[in-house]
Amino acid sequence: MKHQVRLTVNGVSHELLVEPRVTLLDAIRELIGLTGTKKGCDTGDCGACTVILNGKSVNACLCLAVEADGGEVLTIEGLRTDSGPDLIQNAFIEHGAIQCGFCTPGMILSAKALLENNLDVDLDESQVTAAISGNLCRCTGYEKIIQAIMSLVQRSSIK
Amino acid sequence: MENDKKHISTIGQRIPRADSALIASGEAQYLDDIRIPGMLHGRILRSPHPHAKIRSIDTRKAERVLGVKAVITAADTPKIPFCHMPVTPNKLPLCSDKVRFIGDEVAAVAALDVDIAEEAVSLIQVEYEILPAVFDPLEAMKPDAPMLYDDCEKNIASRLVRNFGDVAKGLSEADFVFEDVFELPRVASCTLEPHGCIAQIDSQGNLTVWSSTQSITNIHEELGIPLGLPLHKIRVIAPFVGGAFGNKSVILPLEPITAFLARKAQRPVKIVTTREEEFTCSRTRYAMIIRLKTGVKKDGAITFRDAQVITDNGAYNNKAQGITMVTCNRIGNLYRVPHVRTEALIVYTNNQYGGALRGWGGPQAHFAVESQMDIIANQIGFDPLDFRLRNANQPGDKTVWGWEITSCGFSDCLRRAAQEIGWPKRREKKKFRGIGIAGAVHSGGGSMGAHGPANFEEVLVKLNSDGTVNVSVGCVDMGQGSSTVLAQIVAEELGVDTKEVKVITPDTDNAPRTMGPWGSRITFIAGNAARKAAAEVKSKMLTLAKDLLDVTDTAHLGFENGEIFVRNTLAKHLGIREVTEYFSRHFGQAILGRGFYNPENTVPPDRTTGYGNTSPAYSFCAHAAEVEVDPETGKVEVIKIVAAHDIGKAINPMLVEGQIDGGIAMGIGYALLEELKFDNGKTLNPTFAGYKILNSTEKPRLHHILIETDDPNGPFGAKGVGEIAMIPTAPAIANAIYDAVGVRIKELPISQGKILKALKEKVNSI
Repeated sequence: MKHQVRLTVNGVSHELLVEPRVTLLDAIRELIGLTGTKKGCDTGDCGACTVILNGKSVNACLCLAVEADGGEVLTIEGLRTDSGPDLIQNAFIEHGAIQCGFCTPGMILSAKALLENNLDVDLDESQVTAAISGNLCRCTGYEKIIQAIMSLVQRSSIK
Repeated sequence: MENDKKHISTIGQRIPRADSALIASGEAQYLDDIRIPGMLHGRILRSPHPHAKIRSIDTRKAERVLGVKAVITAADTPKIPFCHMPVTPNKLPLCSDKVRFIGDEVAAVAALDVDIAEEAVSLIQVEYEILPAVFDPLEAMKPDAPMLYDDCEKNIASRLVRNFGDVAKGLSEADFVFEDVFELPRVASCTLEPHGCIAQIDSQGNLTVWSSTQSITNIHEELGIPLGLPLHKIRVIAPFVGGAFGNKSVILPLEPITAFLARKAQRPVKIVTTREEEFTCSRTRYAMIIRLKTGVKKDGAITFRDAQVITDNGAYNNKAQGITMVTCNRIGNLYRVPHVRTEALIVYTNNQYGGALRGWGGPQAHFAVESQMDIIANQIGFDPLDFRLRNANQPGDKTVWGWEITSCGFSDCLRRAAQEIGWPKRREKKKFRGIGIAGAVHSGGGSMGAHGPANFEEVLVKLNSDGTVNVSVGCVDMGQGSSTVLAQIVAEELGVDTKEVKVITPDTDNAPRTMGPWGSRITFIAGNAARKAAAEVKSKMLTLAKDLLDVTDTAHLGFENGEIFVRNTLAKHLGIREVTEYFSRHFGQAILGRGFYNPENTVPPDRTTGYGNTSPAYSFCAHAAEVEVDPETGKVEVIKIVAAHDIGKAINPMLVEGQIDGGIAMGIGYALLEELKFDNGKTLNPTFAGYKILNSTEKPRLHHILIETDDPNGPFGAKGVGEIAMIPTAPAIANAIYDAVGVRIKELPISQGKILKALKEKVNSI
């Protein structure tokens, strides 16, 4: 039996009819049509599907759409500002933190959740590496990704 | 104004990957992001048995499932086996009479959605006659072992022997002889994006394929054979590719299966493999056993190497012959080796079969050679660094194998990596901390392919009427940034801003034929082709500008930094845009340049002996590792890796560093973490939870040293770097572990258990 689910994705409200087993990831990609969120494993191990749900980063493949009912979701498509890429996206670009890019959307959203939830704190590198430890990357060795995020950890940088 | 001294503007700049803004915004479309109207979704039925005869397949129940549009078996596909290498091809798109590993493709379904396809696949009934199976290559060569193929004695797919110099002489000259056996595991590529394919066939039989491939030409030409289609009826498009590392360079059964489903269903079909399929059925790095015998003199000179390599081919031929030959020639060519003999056996087993993965056979060879270099140095009383420097390859060397080394900064790499890691003070370090070093050599400009002496790329440059530039290449940017490097090279030649150069997404309908990105070849080979194409554009521009600037001969004209000027005058000059606008207005055509490059300084391997110089340039590097080992748990923490690389010239240092960083991460995984584990052919760890790759918290401190040796044939002196960064990391770590706790592990990965066991044996032996 299908369930009615209401999701606000990147500020836009969606009403969906979904089977209870449909994941938030499939709802975002297949029903809403936002394909920036990637499917790397579908078992919650790689982090490519990371989105921000009600202020927290989650693996969208481990969350059912019905569980997210009424929730606010931020995906990679929601970050871009009128003047172009947001600060985190820009930092990833400028630091060369993007190679194949398949992990990038999830990685950026993990970084965003970390930075947004620590606005009044100066984060150190161990907090940054911990925050993206659930996001696997096979290309970059994480070095430039960490540099990109570290360029924004000073308190005022993302306000 | 005469301006003979060229101002280098874009070469050496840290420019981000050209399309990274599209990736960061989530707009970049990877294979699974593409939707075609009417598209179906496919799933593949795979063998649950490692070795069995197929008695019958009944697809009737599957066909009756609502929403199923096509079911195919071997009956729907031709019995034409494929293999990219020029060896016996034996993989069919769908198995007809026999399955040979767990995961072998048996049937496939296309349906309205993935769930329906999966349900239908589960309803296909296959009657198997289970056969005895063999999983160990040593067992497989025994007389009573199960046979994978009727006509293949002892399951030996190939025997490759190379013999250069006189090993007996080298043996007689040796004061010491060392013999060690090294074992290398089967590891997975772990591209974050799984393999995927979309196929669409129109009513005229034209097939369009979107493939997450790194080589559109290979997919194009290899698909034509099973489908029986002429190549003009097949179009292959590579969208954004989420990592490939060599693993997406030639067809899997996936592409023909998707195409046959599309043909039968008369609708577009997409298949994206699951992560479990990635781990269990895509091609792995080959597992090998290397027995390495080396002779040295008291003065530290190597006198010979003699190696036996056994490669676990898995169930089908794919790339083992080429990869194993790379393993052998690295054994013969890393350091000055006057006499070398290698014998390799490639053995069929009922395991998942192997394929290409970053470094080809280099990582296996280097783990053996560079572990043994330390063993030897420690035994004969040499400092491991000095022993390496004593034997290091030098510029201008011609090796006994026939390699002609042009630029070579190997000694510099070793010295500077050692200096940065703190080699001189290594005896003052904390207890349980250790330092190790390892060097590497790899092709710095690709190699001749398996099919002949070609090592080419072609690049087309088109000037738009407004002076901006389109560049057509066949080679896919799989994340390494090759398109950005090619844009920089074209921009540099024409003197325009890199932002005014667009490298077009590869599509076989209009791209030049390509060998694809493997062998760290695109910067060197396509880079040279891009330079030639841009030079042709420049020459055409000069001819046009001659009339516009009222000179009688183009010899009076100069072309620098995007400006054409009359030599020795101050006033007259034209920008590219002025020429292209004039030309398009008056004549209509675009100005085109074609550049083709196939190196002239290579020598094809002799058909009998294999002697030859297969690469136009060789890249060298050294990695130094600092580790700390916990003697209670066996846990290894990699504290720091220093990577010193002779890259000829860094066209884009930021991208070079990115390649090195990624190579190191994959190398640490190879050293300490990664191994596909099997029980009777069944993969025990087909998830990222069970198969660990390096994560962000395990990343050591990284330090890069770029050594620019200005290769005489590289574009702007550049050589390739993509693969070599993976190669010396594991032996550097193994050597550092030995330095830390005095145990020598010769079998990767160096797990905690292996260290604890070795520490225990060490204590017991005292």
